[in-house]
Amino acid sequence: MAKHGLHIRLVTAVTALALAVAGSVAVAQTLPRNQTLYIGGFQWGPPTNFNPLASSPAWPTGGDGSMNLQADGYLYETLFMFNIVDGSYEPLLGKSMSWTTPTQLTVKLQPGSQWQDGQPVTASDVVFSYELGKKFSTSYSGMWDYLASVQAPDPQTVVLNLNPSKPNPGLIEQYVSTVYILPQHIWQAVADKGQSALLQYENFQPVGSGTYKVMSHNPQQVVLQRFDNYWGKDLYGMPAPEYVVHPIFKSNDAGNLALKQGNLDWSQEFVPEVWTIKNAGTWYSQKPYYVPGSIPMLVINLQKPGLDNPLVRRALAYAINYPLIVETAVSNYSAPAKSSLILPTGVESKYFDAQQVEQDGWSYDPAKAKDILENQLHAKKGSDGVYVLPDGTKLSFTVETPYGWTDWMAALQVVSQSAKAVGIDVTTKFPQAPVVTTDVQTGNFDMACWYISGVGPASPWSRFRDMLDSRNVPPVGQNAFWDYNRYSNPKVAPLLDQAGAATSVAAKKAAYAQLDKIFMQDIPGIPLMYRALLFYEFNTSVWTGFPTAANPNHAQPLFNIDVLRSLKAK
Amino acid sequence: MSARFRRYILTKLVWYLVALLAAVSLNFFLPRVIPGNPVDTIMAHFLQSGGQGAAAGKMYQAFIAQFGLERPLWGQFLTYLGDIAHGSLGQSFSLFPAHVTTLIGQAAPWTIALQLPAILIGWILGNLLGALAAFKRGAFDRNLFVTALAFSSIPYYALAIVLLYVFAVVLPIFPASGGYAFGTIPNLSWSFIFDALSHYLLPFLSLVVIAIGGQAVGMRSMAIYELGSDYVNYATSLGVSDRRVLGYVFRNAMLPQITGLALSLGTLVGGALITEIVFSYPGVGTLLFNAINANDYPLIQGITLIIIVAVLLANFLVDMAYGYIDPRIRAARSGER
Repeated sequence: MAKHGLHIRLVTAVTALALAVAGSVAVAQTLPRNQTLYIGGFQWGPPTNFNPLASSPAWPTGGDGSMNLQADGYLYETLFMFNIVDGSYEPLLGKSMSWTTPTQLTVKLQPGSQWQDGQPVTASDVVFSYELGKKFSTSYSGMWDYLASVQAPDPQTVVLNLNPSKPNPGLIEQYVSTVYILPQHIWQAVADKGQSALLQYENFQPVGSGTYKVMSHNPQQVVLQRFDNYWGKDLYGMPAPEYVVHPIFKSNDAGNLALKQGNLDWSQEFVPEVWTIKNAGTWYSQKPYYVPGSIPMLVINLQKPGLDNPLVRRALAYAINYPLIVETAVSNYSAPAKSSLILPTGVESKYFDAQQVEQDGWSYDPAKAKDILENQLHAKKGSDGVYVLPDGTKLSFTVETPYGWTDWMAALQVVSQSAKAVGIDVTTKFPQAPVVTTDVQTGNFDMACWYISGVGPASPWSRFRDMLDSRNVPPVGQNAFWDYNRYSNPKVAPLLDQAGAATSVAAKKAAYAQLDKIFMQDIPGIPLMYRALLFYEFNTSVWTGFPTAANPNHAQPLFNIDVLRSLKAK
Repeated sequence: MSARFRRYILTKLVWYLVALLAAVSLNFFLPRVIPGNPVDTIMAHFLQSGGQGAAAGKMYQAFIAQFGLERPLWGQFLTYLGDIAHGSLGQSFSLFPAHVTTLIGQAAPWTIALQLPAILIGWILGNLLGALAAFKRGAFDRNLFVTALAFSSIPYYALAIVLLYVFAVVLPIFPASGGYAFGTIPNLSWSFIFDALSHYLLPFLSLVVIAIGGQAVGMRSMAIYELGSDYVNYATSLGVSDRRVLGYVFRNAMLPQITGLALSLGTLVGGALITEIVFSYPGVGTLLFNAINANDYPLIQGITLIIIVAVLLANFLVDMAYGYIDPRIRAARSGER
């Protein structure tokens, strides 16, 4: 009898284990391939919450507060979607926005918008969502540095009043197109419990206003199912894929292999030589294939002896072989970097002053670098071939970026080689990401390849702020969240405020030109290359109709709902 | 059980308890020695876009407070000990708000299902083949030895990559990644089990083939050594049957192999990192790897704690088992030299 009992218990245990492994769903179901879109490159670890306010929200609720929202409109929606190619705004929950005064933005909401539980989306949901950032520390709390109040005069209208001492309309437009609107009737109860409860909220049965609902999630994948009662189905049309699956790969290689094999339809991973993949496409069908969206920056610590001399920095800027970086490090997905904080193409090109960059900037010219070292700095070459300044400072530095960020590592190898070629010793080091992060934030580095603001409604303002603005930056040893180089110049702040407040392109351009000139004179950093905000590549073996530069169809090379609306099953 | 033996067990138990306590303390302090800071890493994610204002500083403080990192180290240590005493491993930082036990609970079944059969089958087959080779000698031994040596010296990740390339890319017979087909909702059906098995085979093979090779090489040399020893010659000259001699040889050669088995069973819960990465297979290995990369102290601690307990347990069981397998040890214990 005892033995029999053990046997039954064993069987029960094994079954329980199998069920636990299987996720306790007992219905056989494989999603039909021709109704399922596979998307990759956003989620790398187990999904642990669908809370956009948490520290690590799972796809499709993640994002980092900039234009690279991972999935705007799938589950949650913003008011508008900003187009990083032409600078226009596509409506989502918002219908239109207009500046009623230079410091007041009025947004009209789409009539008839609904949460997935049938409740209406109203202006008070918008006010509630924005004010969460005021009451608590969230990824968009920064908007309240520039905002005085948000009001809902009627259920269809939201009025944003800017902080009159810091007017910056571009930044407000950025938040309006990147902050997810959450249902107050669900989140109020969570918010009432405070900051910790808000961070702890897993939100595993999320109710959004978007086109998809979360169907299932586990450490291997997140599955979304189309929500056919979407309020905007007549307005925007419904996307063709019934299901959207995000497989959670454990390496870029696995994801890229899946893209090549046609098991992944749409990906934002770095794929070397994307043009060699059968059936694959990108935004541009030729070089640079992707829309430049950010500038990986060689951040220079201006506190370090040697690097505190602008002429040394200038020599280094001339020494770096930018075309070689493009060729060897980033698979030709970039033009050689210009010496400007403004992207020369796309929506920022209207601010880019090619003539000034030509005149005040630099480009790859090792002879010029040597000339600066010998004739302007009067440096002498030591027996090891490295220059020493007259005050005895040897031009020997380190440069770091996280291990595994292969394109940036390769770029720094080029920096190191080309600096050595002119007599500046630059040693690369590649610690784990948290080490570099702490080094950069606390000012414990010589030089580092790091990211600064990408393209968006507030760029290039935010990029100038990141590189030049010393306001609110603590001394070395404490964490800085911009101006990692600890650059300080009293001329910058008024110009930045002027550029932020300006409402015309001409006024902005004038202020940016002066800021860019300061950047090129003082060289607190050196742009190394251009990078896509998100890599955007697709495989057309199952789904076709992906928007491209030739056929944008109101969409852009990001991963918002507008792309999904264009897709057709093959 | 004699009184001496009971005392022996008791002494061992005390030693294991001391080792456990020391390990649990190291387990708290060692992850904190890794350079970097978990909150800096989380902040970096939010700052990726740049354009953050003074609010970033407040956010930094909010995370420090949420994770209890503003308190002195000894205070954090006491909380950690208290949590362990209550069976809680805390909440992950990098995957907040998930509980460490949940994360390990999701990953561990995959790791155990992949590694336990690979280790056991590798061990049993490897030892049988090794002993057989030592006994049979000749062509069988030569062929088997060379093959086993070749497989045992391939790094296991290299074999994994070769298997992936040959059977999932060149000849796409097997799926390239995942524990089951993406887009399948896990369920108890034959088609799902078949699908999961087809995803299982390549990672399993990459581990088991190398385990067999390693075990066979080890067992073969042990057995050859034993076969040439005095007691074998003596027994053979006495006319003891081959079968019986082999039995002695096998038992003696097994001892180091059993220690090896115990250790691999103990460290098994740490996962097979590279196998998981190559095949994007679910498991504990990548969980630990990513935790280390994000300075996720609670998650690192949780996983290493389980490894520690498993290794200690396995060693303890081996200590106990040795007494029964090896009469010399039993004799030493009970004082009958």
